[in-house]
Amino acid sequence: MKSKILLPILAITLLSLTLVGCNTSSKVQENKLQIKIAEQYGLAYAPLQIMKEKQLLESKLPGIEVSWRQLGNTTAIREAMLAGELDVGFMAIPPFLIGWDKGMEWKIACGLSTSPIGLVVNKESIQSIADFTPEDRIALPQPGSIQHILLAMAADKLWGDPKRLDNQLVTLDHPDGMNALLAGSEISAHFTTPPYLFMELEEPGIHQILDGKEVMGEDFTFAVGVTTEKFYEKQPAVYEAFLEALAEAIKFMEGNPTETVNILAKAYQMDEAELANYLERSDTTYGLEVQGVMEFADFMQKYGLIKGQPANLKEVIWDGK
Amino acid sequence: MGNELIQLKSVEKYYQGSGKTLKVLENINLDIQQGEILAILGPSGCGKTTLLRQIAGFDHPHTGNILMDGQEIVKPEVKRMMIFQDFNQLFPWQTVMQNIVYPLQVHHVGDSVRANREIASKYLNLVELDGFEDSYPHQLSGGMKQKAAMARALALQPKVLLMDEPFGSLDALTRLSLQNLLLKVWRETGVTIVVVTHDIQEAILLSERIVVMGQRGSGGIKRIIPNSLARPRDVGTKGYAELYEQVYALLDV
Amino acid sequence: MNNESYHKLKTRLFWMIAILAVWELTAQSGVFPTAIFPSLLIIARALGDSVVSGEIIIQTGFSLALILQGLLISLLAAIMISSLAISNKMVDGLVDTLVAIAHPLPGIALLPLIIIWFGTDTLSILVIIVHSVIWPLILNMMTGFRSIPTIYKEVGLNLGLNRFRIIKDILIPASLPYVLSGLRIGWARAWRALISAEMIFGAVGAKGGLGWYIFKQRVFMDTPGLFAGLFVIVLIGIIVEDFFFAVIEERTIKKWGMS
Repeated sequence: MKSKILLPILAITLLSLTLVGCNTSSKVQENKLQIKIAEQYGLAYAPLQIMKEKQLLESKLPGIEVSWRQLGNTTAIREAMLAGELDVGFMAIPPFLIGWDKGMEWKIACGLSTSPIGLVVNKESIQSIADFTPEDRIALPQPGSIQHILLAMAADKLWGDPKRLDNQLVTLDHPDGMNALLAGSEISAHFTTPPYLFMELEEPGIHQILDGKEVMGEDFTFAVGVTTEKFYEKQPAVYEAFLEALAEAIKFMEGNPTETVNILAKAYQMDEAELANYLERSDTTYGLEVQGVMEFADFMQKYGLIKGQPANLKEVIWDGK
Repeated sequence: MGNELIQLKSVEKYYQGSGKTLKVLENINLDIQQGEILAILGPSGCGKTTLLRQIAGFDHPHTGNILMDGQEIVKPEVKRMMIFQDFNQLFPWQTVMQNIVYPLQVHHVGDSVRANREIASKYLNLVELDGFEDSYPHQLSGGMKQKAAMARALALQPKVLLMDEPFGSLDALTRLSLQNLLLKVWRETGVTIVVVTHDIQEAILLSERIVVMGQRGSGGIKRIIPNSLARPRDVGTKGYAELYEQVYALLDV
Repeated sequence: MNNESYHKLKTRLFWMIAILAVWELTAQSGVFPTAIFPSLLIIARALGDSVVSGEIIIQTGFSLALILQGLLISLLAAIMISSLAISNKMVDGLVDTLVAIAHPLPGIALLPLIIIWFGTDTLSILVIIVHSVIWPLILNMMTGFRSIPTIYKEVGLNLGLNRFRIIKDILIPASLPYVLSGLRIGWARAWRALISAEMIFGAVGAKGGLGWYIFKQRVFMDTPGLFAGLFVIVLIGIIVEDFFFAVIEERTIKKWGMS
């Protein structure tokens, strides 16, 4: 009889230990110099590629262990950071704010880039978002993405209703969205960034009806670098070195355009001439300052995507004012 | 005689084995009389089941003809109902009643469901299975299943009932009671019955004539023995022992 | 309810409560932030909110309607295809080959191809569901047809049934145990494929299903909401497995003594 009760108790204990174990196993030795960075694909993240290839961080802090992880999308990066698997992630401001609002212990460390974001359509009849019929479907990466927020801002401006177009959204990642737009059967519009934006605009019958900067009314940072509180507090030296290395990477890009194209073309498996052309055409700019956080936060709270709102930049940016 | 229901003329059937040909049926000539009970008796593998299946229309002779009312038998038909040895010949997804009513519906025997149910009840009563109308086959004993199968066949009013060792899997007592039931059914309906068996006693108790077949591979009828013992019969009936001896000797077991 | 299933239910309940208790204790211990490990109360509240707002009900209904359509289409198609296959050797060979090719392919692996061929509308999800269901169903149905005792067919022939009646009134009921287990496998595969497809496709407007609901909770980092979605998935799985299929079996093959 005794063992009949004992066995389940043992099982429960084991179950609990496994759960707790999930957490402790991801803890690492904290006195060792190391950093784990998530990279994403796209021109807006180019300085990270330079930093990686030129080993800028390694030369600043000899002996540091830098690991780079490729993750599919912003949500995955956010989840990896939540699980403590990543120290630094790059993403747009809205997904950062959603995590911040949900109590994630993280803040913005730096800006990275500004980027054109455009809403392109494949119908001559659509000249502005006012021309969308309820049948027109708009593809964008996911709800809560910067594209979604910008579209909601535009809808808010035009109709005073940010949710007006929400029922017409289709969630597709950039390559699928481009295919669907060019196929032209189901998707009327695609909200995207370079290089997809440029590739789409090169096709006949495709034109742009909305631009991110127009909607915001001012420049805003497209990609920001976000780090966890744990990393910021426990590894101040690495944190500083990381920012310096990033600044150096940006400076390198300005000073060595040929070698930059070289490195990026290899990393992105693109034709050098094509890449150089994109880099030249693109309004993508690189820099560490952060713009637009409060504007996004104001709007997202009004829209109901976040509940709280940062009282000042200090709450969302490390070393912010 | 002139009262033949079914005629088998020079029926032959053989299987091509490894290098040699096995004669299953060889030069079978047999007339089945209207209204008789004919027993086909033989050791297992002698071809008696094949013969019955050919009469039913499931199987066909390589040479020779099988005629019913002068017509060549080409496929199974309702006028020749087969009763198998296997208890699972009832459809398990139908109740006993449904099993009997279903073919009646298919052939529009009665002009309504009710009429068909009445017909079915009549035959269930004939095989003494009243009260089990709503049972599913798996709830019945082996003997009851065979009774239900008989009721299903009889309800279609076939001209001949072809029975392939129908009671072979039953215990001795149940077998006896079903044999008596079969005789009662025969008396009341007058249906012609061909019953295949390897049980000498069963052949003697039931039949008017006994067709004795030879060993496996010999492929033919050894002899057709008339059986005119007085009914009701049992092992004590006058002439039983002699007939048994005669049949037994022919089987050379 | 018989003794055995009562006992099974009791053990099932015991372990459910035990798991929930461990869950709650872990959540209350504060080892994990709420965003990773929310307490049951918070999850229940999230579920309650979604039910009250009707969101999760509409999206669950949407998913169930899709899967029901898919199951129905697959069942009819499988019956037709299997019937053709047992009546004709050439068709049998074709079906056999098709099953061999298509059965091992997970529906979700076909997603890129399905987007190109059928777009991103609900039609595509339906195609994935049908793909997930139809092959195991045909496979089981053919096995069922082939394993039917010849005696049923012979009795059918003797009773003068035509080919259509033999299929409808004999082959199908006689292979029902196989059809049902095919449907069980098909349902499980379809349910998984549906949720995954919905999470990848996203929604067309408001018409997203349960997978989309979960994806949305993920994107907006609503972990309690995420668990609420998972809870509904589990609940539906249990209802379909333990009640829907169990009741059908109770009323057919168990009653007929065929299981």
